[in-house]
Amino acid sequence: MAAAKKTMTLNLTDAEMAVLEDLCEKKDLSKTSVLRQALRLYQLVEARVEKGDKLFFEDEKTKQKAEIMML
Amino acid sequence: MTVDISSVALLEVQSGEFVEAALLDAIQEQQISDWDKLWAPALNEGLGRLTAALAPKSSWPQNLHWDWREKAAAMNGLLGNQGFSLVCDGVTQGLMAVDMVSHRCRLPEQQGKDLVYIEFLENAPWNRSELLFRPTKFRGVGTLLMVAAIQLSIEQGFKGRVGLHALPQSEEWYRQKCGMTDMGTDQRVQGLRYFEMTALQATAFIRKGDSR
Repeated sequence: MAAAKKTMTLNLTDAEMAVLEDLCEKKDLSKTSVLRQALRLYQLVEARVEKGDKLFFEDEKTKQKAEIMML
Repeated sequence: MTVDISSVALLEVQSGEFVEAALLDAIQEQQISDWDKLWAPALNEGLGRLTAALAPKSSWPQNLHWDWREKAAAMNGLLGNQGFSLVCDGVTQGLMAVDMVSHRCRLPEQQGKDLVYIEFLENAPWNRSELLFRPTKFRGVGTLLMVAAIQLSIEQGFKGRVGLHALPQSEEWYRQKCGMTDMGTDQRVQGLRYFEMTALQATAFIRKGDSR
């Protein structure tokens, strides 16, 4: 039950490609899957910020929170 | 948005025959209407039976508060969320909502990797024996929805990895029937037990279904 897909060409710098390949290795995913996940996450963050929510990272041990400013 | 429809089979309990059903990779307005106009009265009927049978409250369904209209609206347009519906006899028999982006694997052998997280999975009231429907109408709804979650996981490159927090009444099903690993209670999620499926467990679950 896979949805129809469209193909695109993506131009990345060496540094960007290195990060993408590193994420593929770490996450055990293809480049396409990593980029799909990135798009989903980006859309989710945008939707929450647009609603007025804030984005935080919390240190599990110290419970210290750092807000990511999304302007 | 186009909706993908697959043909699947459900066991009709009364006749003992398999009947054709449709698996949709979406929750549409028709499903919300079925939930509202058909599931809700049937659920009330089931609760009436439980009351008449003096069944302890602990045996009552633990998801009475689930609101599928709200859940469908929350998922609308988000790429990281997907709904699934199982339709048979022109009526919605099961619903599932999954999240592909907000959760990561916890089992040591796959820690930090992506997975399909099942947020909600519900069977229509008349398919649930705990509501004292005798006989229940269809069997296999939960299994088919779990297979759909595994297939989505495979399609996304997650290799069949699936995770969820189970309501206490469903724990045994995920542990025994689905073969998921029980990782214990999670205090961050109302003390519910967290279950996770590896790629190997997913393959075993699919194979078990194929041999039935």
